[in-house]
Parts: sequence; structure tokens; C-alpha cells
Amino acid sequence: MDRFLQDLKPGERARVERIEGGGALRRRMMDMGIVPGVELEVVRCAPLGGPLQIRLKGYYLAMRRGECARIMVCASNREYSEPSLASR
Amino acid sequence: MKIALMGNPNVGKSTVFNVLTGSNQQVGNWAGKTVERKSGIIHRANEEIELIDLPGTYSLTAYSQEEIVTREYILREKPDVVMAMVDASNIERNLYLVLQILELAPRVVIGLNMMDLAKTAGITIHSNKLALALNVPVVEIIAAKGQGIEEFLTEAIRVGKLKKDPIADDVPYPEELENRIQAMERLLSDTIWATKYPLRWLAIKRLEQDPEIGQTWKSIPQTNQRNRSTDPCCDPGDPVKYELQESVSLPGEALLQAYEAEGWSKDHFEMAVADAKYQYISKILPEFRVNENPVKRTWTDKLDEWILSPFWGYPIMVIILSLVFWFSFVASAPLGGAVSEAMAWAADVIVVIMQWGQMPEVIQSLVRDGIFAGVGAVLAFVPQIAIFFAFFSLMQDSGYLARAAFLGDRFMQLMGLHGKSFFSLVSGFGCNVPGIMATRTLEDPKDRLITMLINPLIPCVPRLGVMSAVVAAFFPGSRGAFIMVSLLLLSMLLVMFSALFLRRVVRQKERSAFVMELPLYHVPTMRNVLLPTWQKTYSFLKRAWTFILVASIVVWVLSSYPQGVPMNETWAGKMGGWLAFIGQPLGFDWRIMVAIVFGFTAKETTLSTLGILYGVAADASQSIAQAMTGAMTPLGAYTFLVVYMLYIPCLASVVTTYKESRSLGWTSFGVAYNLILSFIIGWLIFHGGQLFGFQ
Ligand SMILES: Nc1nc2c(ncn2[C@@H]2O[C@H](COP(=O)(O)OP(=O)(O)O)[C@@H](O)[C@H]2O)c(=O)[nH]1
Ligand SMILES: [Mg+2]
Repeated sequence: MDRFLQDLKPGERARVERIEGGGALRRRMMDMGIVPGVELEVVRCAPLGGPLQIRLKGYYLAMRRGECARIMVCASNREYSEPSLASR
Repeated sequence: MKIALMGNPNVGKSTVFNVLTGSNQQVGNWAGKTVERKSGIIHRANEEIELIDLPGTYSLTAYSQEEIVTREYILREKPDVVMAMVDASNIERNLYLVLQILELAPRVVIGLNMMDLAKTAGITIHSNKLALALNVPVVEIIAAKGQGIEEFLTEAIRVGKLKKDPIADDVPYPEELENRIQAMERLLSDTIWATKYPLRWLAIKRLEQDPEIGQTWKSIPQTNQRNRSTDPCCDPGDPVKYELQESVSLPGEALLQAYEAEGWSKDHFEMAVADAKYQYISKILPEFRVNENPVKRTWTDKLDEWILSPFWGYPIMVIILSLVFWFSFVASAPLGGAVSEAMAWAADVIVVIMQWGQMPEVIQSLVRDGIFAGVGAVLAFVPQIAIFFAFFSLMQDSGYLARAAFLGDRFMQLMGLHGKSFFSLVSGFGCNVPGIMATRTLEDPKDRLITMLINPLIPCVPRLGVMSAVVAAFFPGSRGAFIMVSLLLLSMLLVMFSALFLRRVVRQKERSAFVMELPLYHVPTMRNVLLPTWQKTYSFLKRAWTFILVASIVVWVLSSYPQGVPMNETWAGKMGGWLAFIGQPLGFDWRIMVAIVFGFTAKETTLSTLGILYGVAADASQSIAQAMTGAMTPLGAYTFLVVYMLYIPCLASVVTTYKESRSLGWTSFGVAYNLILSFIIGWLIFHGGQLFGFQ
């Protein structure tokens, strides 16, 4: 089952599996530490479909749902097996 | 020796910079950008050091204007030493940039800042082990308390004086990537490029097909700048400009194509390199970081529980913004009043001196009614602007501004704007000048332009003051409140419409992403708040000064010549007469048109202009508005209010728009857009109102 970051509820944790699409946005995410294998937690959502507050690597990030919809995640307790190189 | 401060945003670079340089700062802009350039000269151990406070960046891949500036500086100007600042409480992501710096710059010292925050969050970092892991000197700092800053600088100077470049450890890349990097290194090692940049960095960038690899840029010092002031503060000039000297393509094209065929595209290389760096950081992290209590809730967590709460967040935001507004625009009123009075007093004194010196009457009038009255009107709102900027710095440094953007993003998204536009638009209610300047926090230049152009549609405090006086005269009682609310709603509607409209006019390649760090809360230092406040206020004054002076004189000339005739026969009155045909469809007579034209210098003068035109000498705004009731129907007054609210705000905001957008075209577009929009809406209201039988 494919899940996207956008589908997580506040308090849920997950691991990044893949970032869809390329370009500046993906590079931006990379700069902020969102790479495959990283563990994320959705802390809270702004009301009325506003942005999400995400915790990763010990800091907080705000991201819109539209951007979150490009980050595919898997359950965080599952061991991340593959050495993570995304675009393969 | 050139030393550059570098690091992620909000790690304390400016705090260190401010402590080291004090008031000895040169503040300007980077060539062709509206990103602030801060540098300062300091002396230590017989060495003159030029310290540069680079804009915060998350990586060396260019994304926002700030990041482009930082990257260009590092690549093209090559500082002797880089002081890489790291937030100890958020070291994992911070080290990503450090690894990139280490690949590019040979001499680096790491400043491990925010040790106090790390401690309270239950994080212990052994700086000596970090130094060992990366093979780079590390200095522990608590910049806000001034601890470790001098040691940091001393260490940087020591590294700068070393005879040979120290060698930091390389990031170990996975084998398939490493082989490819080495293959590229072999191709590049004989070119002259290898003498300019570290070979490994060059090879990686070549694989990532970075456009700047292969270009030679020459920096041209701007010596021939005419108005380059010697003022130690706030030099607006661009100190250097870059010029492309040559652009050659490097070897390795065939290799790149071969890799592409194997599935190693440029994106793939980028991802693989980034990934390897993060992996490396995770690997070495346990060597120096001990997370005693990782789930411990910090201050930030506790505050955000309320401040970002879906329920409480908005009331809290309203309270905070109201406080800021109250302090900046209401509580500061006596200060502004004092400035006006001081100006009036100074004018009187000068006029007395001139009378004593038997100066002609005209010159006296020019000084009193022209220069002092016009410039005084603008100076009177300097206290407002200064206090507002102080609060702005306070909110930005404390971390609240990012939270406001988080909360406001949903509304901004409806208009196709970025969350960070929210604050600029809200500021516009206070004064459009700081509102326009606040767009600097926006990363995308197009988002920034749109936010700047719609800002004037938001009525500022002075405009609201004039409007409420007129409303009170025409619509007494509870009807007045209703009218006022309808005007505000109209302005919001038009802001929304204009944002969507401008989205179509302003071409944008790629919609900017809303990916924004929510920094930990900090208690800002006094110095960090007051220094930028002073710099911004001063530069506003300096910018506005000449324009306002000239405009004041022009207005004075127009309204006093030919001499000794009634108002409607002066040039201004005649101009009003010519313009009356524009006003006619809206039911405006020449007086209103004159007031509208003059309102351009500063809108708060509109009421007094009208007073003169309607022959009411009294200063009390009530009586002026009362005089207008005789000459206009309520519908006419409402039309006037709408046009008054929407047309170009004032000269100062137009000047600011020009300075911030650096485009005469867009500034004129903005002025024209406001004018046309206000008259169209006014026309619709006037005729629509008549149609429905309103008077
Ligand atoms: N607690 C704490 N706060 C700090 C320290 N250094 C800087 N700050 C605060 O962090 C915020 C951001 O600092 P600033 O110098 O503007 O960061 P810059 O974006 O890197 O220039 C300010 O509010 C500072 O007062 C520190 O060592 N400890
Ligand atoms: Mg700074």
C-alpha cells in the first residue's frame, strides 16, 4: 500500500521511501534533509487544509499538502533494507 | 584577510557579526539583488580583516536569491577563511551544509553555536570529537551571551595564516558513485580548472552538470560610482559586480552521456551525492553527539502547543499583531506629533530669521508651506516606521514570523501567494512602506513582486484616519461602522482579485514551494533588534528624502502660482479643472481632483487640502469633513472614499516599490494599475448606486 506524507495523521511517524518528480522542489527537500530513509513525524496540521508541521532530524519544518503529496512513505518500524538511492 | 560567516538561516551568524563589528558595519545590497550585504572591517593581531555576514542558506545549490548570493560569493570571491556556523541543537541537518563547504573551501573553522539551547534540550555535543571526526577545528559558542566569539575569530585567523591548506577528511561515497567521481577527476585533473577549485568538488559538480562550472567571472569593484557615500552606515551602493569573462565547456561530455545511458542522470547524481552526505552524517553522529533525553519537550514544543494550535493559534496571532500595531501606530502617535511640532517650530524660527534678513515673502512661504510642511509630513511617520521595524526584527529573530506564515499560509494559498506574503500584507495596514519592505523575506522574486504590487491596496493607518473622519461626517451613528466595514471588505476583495490577476500578468516558470523551517524560539538580543532597526529607518529616510523634498517643492509651486489669485486659478486649481473631466463620471468636482493629486505626496494631507479648497481654515478634521457634506451626496462621498482608499498610496511607497523591485516598469505598472482600478471601481459604485436609487 502506497502512502504519502499528506495522508498521515498528527502524531504518526513514517519513513521516506521516495520523492516523486524532480526539479527545484526535490532539491529543496534534499537540502532540508528529506531523503529516502529519513524518519519523519507529522506534528500537527494547520486547519482548513493548511500546511503540515513535520519533525525530522530534530527540527521542525512546515510544508504544504501539495508538496507532501509527492513524498511517498512507509511505516517507520519496517526495517529500511535497500541502500537508499532514490530515483532508481 | 577576507573571512566569511556562513551557515543555515537562524544559527546566529548576524549575532556573531554584530558583536565583532559593532557599529562598524557597511550595509548595502548585493549587486543587482535586494539581499542585504553586510560587511565590516576589524583589526586583530596586526591584521586587517574584512568580515562578511553571508545570507543564510541550506545548501550550495542555488535556490533563492539569498542562496545565489552566498554561492556566488564563495565561488567567485573565494574568502580566505570560512567561519561555518552550526546550530548545536540541530546539528544533523546543519552538518549537511558544512560538508558541502568543506568540499569547496580549503580553510574552514566550525563554530558550534547555541550550546545553551542544546543543553536544555538534553543534547550533549563533544566538540573535540566532532573536530576529530571531520578533521576541522571546532569552537564552542553561545553567541547570544557573547561567549566564545573572540576565540572563534582567533581560530579563524590562525587557520587563515597557515602556510599550507589544511586537509579535511573526504566524505566517503558509495563505490559506484566513487568510481564515477574518480573517472571524472581523471578527465579534469589536467585542466586549469583543477587549479582553481578542489578537484573532487569540480568532478562532482561536473557530474551534476552545474551550469557555473566552466565559467570565469571577474569581479569589478565599483569605483566610479558617483553617489557612493562615505557614510559608515547604510551604503546603498553595490560594492562589486560580476562580469562573465568566458564560458568554456569542460571535458567529460562523452562520459556524462555514457552515465546517462546507465541511468545516472544529473538528477540521479545529485540525489546520490546528497544521500551519501546524509548517510555519512548519521554514521559519524554517535561519535560526538549524546542525546540524553531525545523525547524531552523543549520550550519550543510547549509554546507551539498554543501558538500553532488550530484553535488558539489565530486568536493569539490577532493579539500579537494587534499589540504590534498598537505600539507602532497608535502608541507612537505622540512621538510623530512631537516631530511635526518640532518641524513647525523649526520652520517658524527659520521664517523669523528670514524676516529679519528681509528675505522675499515667496521664499519664506516656500520654506514654511513647501519644504517644512511636506518633509515634516513624512518625517512625522518615521517614529511609526522605526517602532514597526523594531517589532519586525523582534518577531523575525524570535521565530514567530515563521509561525505566522504557517498559520496564514492557507489564506495566502487562496490568492496564489506564499505564506510569507501574509506578514507583508498585514503590515500594510500599518504603513505600506514597511509592508513593501517586508517582502524581502520572500524567496521567489515573482511572489515578491506580486506581494509588493498589491500591498498599496491595503489602507494604511493614515488613510484609515482620513476615511473615518469622512465617514463620521456623512454617515453618522451606527451606519458609519457599517460603511467602514464595507470599505475594508472591498479592499480585501480587491487584494484577492488583484493577486489572482497579477499571477497571470507576472510570468512565473515554476510555482515556488512552501517548504519552510520553523526555527526554535529564541530570545533576541537587544543589539540584534536595534541595529537593523536603525539601519532600515535610516535608509528609508535617505531614500525618501530627496524625492519627498522635490515633490514638496513641486506641490508648493503648483498651489502658489500665479501669486495672489484664488485657489481655483492657481496652476493646481487649473490642473484640477482639466482633471475634472476624469472625475466627472464619478461625480467629483475639481476640488476633489486637486485633493487626490496632492494626496500623492502623503495621504494624510488630503483632509487639510480639502479644508483649504472648501475654505475651512480650521485644522480640526471634523469641521473639514462637515464642510464637505454640503458639497456632496453620501453616494458621492462613498465613491470618493473608495477611490481615495485604492489609488496610489503615497510617494514614499512608490519610491520604496521602485527601490525594492529595481524596476521602473513594474513600479509604473503598479501605479497605473492602482489608478485605473480605483477609478473603475469608483465608477461602478457611483453608477451602480444611482441605478439602485441611492443618493
Ligand atoms: N539561545 C541562544 N540564542 C542565540 C544564540 N545565538 C544567537 N541566538 C539567537 O538566535 C536568533 C537568530 O540569530 P541571528 O544572528 O539573527 O541568526 P542568522 O540568521 O544566522 O544571522 C536571534 O534571536 C539570536 O538572539 C545562542 O548562542 N543561544
Ligand atoms: Mg542574519
